[in-house]
Amino acid sequence: MKGKTWLFWGGLIAAAGAVLFQTSYDVQDLEEKLAGLNRKIVTEQESIQVLRAEWSYLNDPTKLEELARAHLALQPTEARQFLALDAIPMRPAPTPDAAPQAPLPGRGVNPALPASVVPVAATPAPQIASARIPSPKLSMDKALERTPVIVPAALPAIPTVKTAPIKPSALIPAAAKPPAMPPAAAPAPQPTPAATPAAVGKLAPNAPLPALNRPTDVASRPVAPSPTTKVIAAGMQQPKPTDSLGMLVARLGANR
Amino acid sequence: MKFPPFGLPFRSQSASTAPAPRTTLAAAMEQSRYRLMVTAAVVTTVFATIGVKLVAATLFSQGGEPRQHHALELDSTTTNRADIVDRNGNLLATSLVTQSLYADPKLISRPEEAARKLVSALPELDYKEVYGKLSGDKRFVWLKRNLTPKQQYAVHRLGVPGISFEREERRFYPAGNLTSHVVGFTGVDNNGLAGLEQGFSKRLNEDPATPLQLSIDLRLQHVLRKELTATIQEFSAIGAAGIVYDVRTGEVMAMTSLPDFDPQDPTGLNPDTLFNRATLGVYEMGSTFKIFNSALALDSGKIRVSDTFDAVHPIKIGRFTINDYHSLHRALTVAEVFQHSSNLGSVRMVQLIGIAAQRAFMAKMGFMRPTALELPENGWPLAPNPWREVNSMTISFGHGISVSPMHTVAAAASVINGGVFHPPTILRRQPGAEIPGEQVVSRQTSDMMRRMFRFVVADGTGKSAGVKGYVVGGKTGTADKQKGRHYQKNSRMSSFLGAFPMHDPRYIVYVLVDEPKATAKTYGYATGGWVAAPAVGRIIKQIGPLLDVPTVDENAPEILNATFLNAAGSTNWAQQAPNAPSSAAPPPPKGSTVASFPTPAKPR
Repeated sequence: MKGKTWLFWGGLIAAAGAVLFQTSYDVQDLEEKLAGLNRKIVTEQESIQVLRAEWSYLNDPTKLEELARAHLALQPTEARQFLALDAIPMRPAPTPDAAPQAPLPGRGVNPALPASVVPVAATPAPQIASARIPSPKLSMDKALERTPVIVPAALPAIPTVKTAPIKPSALIPAAAKPPAMPPAAAPAPQPTPAATPAAVGKLAPNAPLPALNRPTDVASRPVAPSPTTKVIAAGMQQPKPTDSLGMLVARLGANR
Repeated sequence: MKFPPFGLPFRSQSASTAPAPRTTLAAAMEQSRYRLMVTAAVVTTVFATIGVKLVAATLFSQGGEPRQHHALELDSTTTNRADIVDRNGNLLATSLVTQSLYADPKLISRPEEAARKLVSALPELDYKEVYGKLSGDKRFVWLKRNLTPKQQYAVHRLGVPGISFEREERRFYPAGNLTSHVVGFTGVDNNGLAGLEQGFSKRLNEDPATPLQLSIDLRLQHVLRKELTATIQEFSAIGAAGIVYDVRTGEVMAMTSLPDFDPQDPTGLNPDTLFNRATLGVYEMGSTFKIFNSALALDSGKIRVSDTFDAVHPIKIGRFTINDYHSLHRALTVAEVFQHSSNLGSVRMVQLIGIAAQRAFMAKMGFMRPTALELPENGWPLAPNPWREVNSMTISFGHGISVSPMHTVAAAASVINGGVFHPPTILRRQPGAEIPGEQVVSRQTSDMMRRMFRFVVADGTGKSAGVKGYVVGGKTGTADKQKGRHYQKNSRMSSFLGAFPMHDPRYIVYVLVDEPKATAKTYGYATGGWVAAPAVGRIIKQIGPLLDVPTVDENAPEILNATFLNAAGSTNWAQQAPNAPSSAAPPPPKGSTVASFPTPAKPR
């Protein structure tokens, strides 16, 4: 009986000791793992810091402007490209086919502009396509949302002018053109808004500088998009929420 | 002791109470009994202590020895100095971890071979210098600080014994020259030596996890610097300063001083480039000071905007004669004095107000002490002491008192924002936080000053600053520079203080050009209206959309109601209806158009 008691207590002590040792080694392992992870985190944080610095360095506005001037036909937005919400006509809801024929009131700076304005240039380009989808019953909000898209459709004179394929270099005024450009760009018709009779009366008085007559305005965008205008439209488009790079670029002011 | 002493039966203990014969044996027995008792007591105490300590150590000390490793906190940074970011979170200054190379010459057996190898891996090192360092008898020498990872790899590959790396931090400025005068720079040991790096050095080191957020907007900073660079180039000026300022909060949205420097490598540069003209430089502001003279006159209640003052006869005081640049040879209203920037009219106005009132007003505007701006480069204004009559007269048109551009902008903001002086700051104000402010002029005065600002741009010396849609107003300034004891005719400071939109002012754009030379395009003029005003116009044109300022029609009734003023001092635009559009609409900007979009071929 006495021997059995000893055996019981002895076994218990041995088991406790074994568990204790096991736990101690486990803890030691975990501590090592933690130290390793901490080291890794520090390294990662340092690389993140380097990448952030590099990102900021590459997104320096001075560099971005040079790049934009070299590769894009975009210009800084101007006051005349902003339009009051009230100046945009309501969509005539029941007859969707008649919508494009509705005449527009004056574009540009309207005499009756109140303080609230909406940037036309910032209108998402994909809505142009959705404008022609017949949707007979539109709520007020939807109608408001879609009204700006009528603007390009209401200027039918423009695409006839732009039958010739437009090269990006043709969009830049002759003075700014680098000499290395192919001569084919020169004879191409200057697709400035001033070239179309419809736009002359509306835009020319508001354009103070000859260099500003580039088709950054929505009015000069053709209804049937040619390859070059697609590029412009893509540039004007606001980044989608999923497009993280685009959002970042927008935040940094790259698209001005 | 509860139990009886060892080896003594109970009976004999009771028997020992009775007198017993004292034999030598009994005495020895007694002695050994006491010794045993003492020994037992000591052993028991020691074991009891150990037992108590054991219980305390295992059960009550919460886990025994402290842990060696702790999980890192999520928001902690690895660097010891906080980042500096702009108001949108773009990095302006950050710390990068680099490795610095050092050697222990005692451990290097063949210095010439080690030096040769090191120079082959790092060509910018000098062989003789490295050899000299390695063959010395110190225990520690720096070979090169802040290696790039590639260089570190190259040195690692050499396998030279006795050299090792030390982890160091290096300040890096992604925006480079763009914010050099605001952010400043640090020395080799990361202590701030200029700009915010110096002003906030303690804060940056004490709280490295939270970045320091400035009120600067990098995009505005870029526009401002680009236009100033173009202006300097066009007019062959020696320098320029520019400020974009939020009149409602006192935040500095952009601030540039040219020439500037590369904060990465500020040593060995011309000290002129390190000089911040926007905050440290104090200048006689010239006609821009008529803003404050007019505000003083209107706020005193003694002068109304339609009152007329003689601007024909020059004023003689002592050996000085005060005259106008281009006299109109007639009496002028207060509005016209401001419009044509008449010195004579300004002097006559201040003669009516009095010297003491002028001095008190200038002190209220903050012209007697440095601004509240957080930069260490904060200039002391040079105000006359004592403030005599002749000082009072010259100060009325901006000579005889020198203040920094930041002083001028902060004070002008208070004149047009409804009369509240906000101390200027370069740190972003938290949304919802209370903005410190002090009412310095009345609301009515501020309203009239807005109209006067607008009048100068609509039909005055500042026409070329007008931007369609943004209702710009402002005041030109041209001051002759003092060299030694004399004013020089052909070196001047031309400036323009513009604000927009004038019906509800939100931002001030200030441009100061140091010693512009007239060009053929400006018909030989290098005054504020020809040099600085077009630059301000171009800047407003570009930053208006960035700042989300709604565009309006300048001739709309509600805008004219808030901004109209005519030469007679009348604010009733309806009376002049046929005339109003022509006088209110600015012509397309004259002067230069080069700067907005410089062609790529142009050297920048």
